[in-house]
Amino acid sequence: MSKPKIAICDFTDCEGCQVQIISLREKLLDLEKHFDIVDWRLVQAKKEKGPYFATLVEGTPITPSEIETLKYFREQSKYIFGLGSCASLAGIPGIISKENREKWYKIIYGAGYKPQGIDALPIQAFVKVDFLIHGCPVGQEQLVRFFEELMAGQTPSYRNYSVCFECKVEGNPCRLVEKKPCLGPITQAGCKAVCVSGGSACYGCFGLRTEPNIRALLTILNNITDKKEIERYFTMFLSRTEEYQKIVKPNL
Amino acid sequence: MNPEFITKIEGHGALHIDWKKNNVQLNVLEGERLFEGILVGRTAEESHWITPRICGVCPVAHHLASAKAAEDAFGIIPAQSTGLLRDLMLAGQLIQSHVLHLFFLALPDYLGIDKGTELSKKNPALFKTALSLKEISDEIVFCVGGRNIHPMTTTIGGFLKVPAKKSLEKLLGKVKIAEKAAKKTMELFSSLAYPELDVDLEFVAQKGDFILSTGDVKRSLIKDYKQDLQEEVRQYSSAKFAKYKKREVLAGALARIALYDEYGREYKDKLNFRNPFYNNLAQAIEIYHLTKTSQDIIDRLLKTELDLTIKKPNLEASLRGIGALEAPRGGLYHELHLDSNGIITYANILTPTVQNLSSIEKSARALLEQTEKFAQKKRERLLEMLVRAYDPCITCAVH
Repeated sequence: MSKPKIAICDFTDCEGCQVQIISLREKLLDLEKHFDIVDWRLVQAKKEKGPYFATLVEGTPITPSEIETLKYFREQSKYIFGLGSCASLAGIPGIISKENREKWYKIIYGAGYKPQGIDALPIQAFVKVDFLIHGCPVGQEQLVRFFEELMAGQTPSYRNYSVCFECKVEGNPCRLVEKKPCLGPITQAGCKAVCVSGGSACYGCFGLRTEPNIRALLTILNNITDKKEIERYFTMFLSRTEEYQKIVKPNL
Repeated sequence: MNPEFITKIEGHGALHIDWKKNNVQLNVLEGERLFEGILVGRTAEESHWITPRICGVCPVAHHLASAKAAEDAFGIIPAQSTGLLRDLMLAGQLIQSHVLHLFFLALPDYLGIDKGTELSKKNPALFKTALSLKEISDEIVFCVGGRNIHPMTTTIGGFLKVPAKKSLEKLLGKVKIAEKAAKKTMELFSSLAYPELDVDLEFVAQKGDFILSTGDVKRSLIKDYKQDLQEEVRQYSSAKFAKYKKREVLAGALARIALYDEYGREYKDKLNFRNPFYNNLAQAIEIYHLTKTSQDIIDRLLKTELDLTIKKPNLEASLRGIGALEAPRGGLYHELHLDSNGIITYANILTPTVQNLSSIEKSARALLEQTEKFAQKKRERLLEMLVRAYDPCITCAVH
């Protein structure tokens, strides 16, 4: 039986999530034993037309050509999976709002420059997406878990608890208790609290957990810091979420 | 299918070839993320957290350049052990990036395979060598930075977390073993048959407070980077093109070996400084050199008390700073201006690939002139190999 065909495509982003796939090393060979990677611009010239069993999409489709490519892959693929925060949340590129792009094009490129990008949006703004592998970058363990589920014919599943659970397991003191801002409580788990363990804050790159209590977190954050900092935290990764627009923004 | 981009390079570019005029344009088709705009309004502390996301292949370089820029702005000189840990993380970064490029992007051209993983069948021992170097370089960055990509342990003035001495000891043992793999890699890349090409290449590399060059102007101050490395916007590219003192220059491994004269001496007769394809060998030489440098740094770290003090910002300082370092592909420059609350009011980022783009087009023209007898298909293939040899990082260049 021929192996299921997989395509990997990358839009506007840092390509770090694809580097994480390469960083799987021996496990990448295992992946190739089960799947035929028929299109992956970063590492191979080989390129086959669809249909595909699945397409992994990294990056935010910011240019018209990227949006077209995304739609093509959707039509040709049984499954579309988002790879990393740029695909799942618009990521760091989403920090610049559509309205502000004009201003920054002028400042950075000067007048007369013809921009390629329109607006940074997550891939689900354009097509139906079957599953999002979150993270900035995606973690290697997460990738392995995802591919194992896929190989076993299971539907990949989200963890419906927050980063806080994993942060406790790692033995980190709670940032909020120490009066440091943190988005851990509303953020989906899966990263093993790697940033907090490294001394940094959690900016929510895994996206919101199911039923996040954003209002309660806002109350806590308002006691710790000012609205500007709260805005900076939420807009690092989450500005393109409905919850940010509806719940957080009106309170800033 | 993905559109027709040059494969096996970082980012999205396509060659526009004028066969009659022997002219080549490198059309950079990457979406603009506008990082210099993203940074404005953010805190200085957030900048080294945000800028690694410019590039997943060389995130540590951006991470450290941003931290250095902020420290320069705040008048901070970090502790010696902070400097050593950062040097170690950067050495790991260079190995990571070079290994990825050499084995997964460049080598397939020379071995007649399509992708790096095919090496596992064609030459299992060599593939093992590649993976062992990938692993050790990831481990170095993980050990110091907390993650192999997009580290998070750095703060302005020091580290939020430092590795335990036990981890450093363990790492040292592993790097020692990796030195052999690095030597094998260097021998392999010195044995490859690189395409013939003769270009009057000029090089740039940073050293201390200076930019060194092999051109007419031998050196200039890094603090004048913006006037000396002038960027221009071209309509066919979302990346700018930079020249040094109006000259097309090559930055990166080959330039560093040409200008430093500190390592790679034993291979100097094998390198050809008029042929950019030799940048591949230069990167392999650097991997070997860096496995040795990493051991020296870890040795020194093990002998010193790790200073955990995080130096505090001085808000009376100039609040304008430049963070410059040699990234895998050459000189990287981050400039930050801050207000008295430490909020960024201006950011400028100039990457190595922006410098290399001008040199790529120059070498591509030379290649077309020197291969007129060849069939078009072969010339196209050589042009792609040439672009790859420069190891352009297009997401960096656009940022």
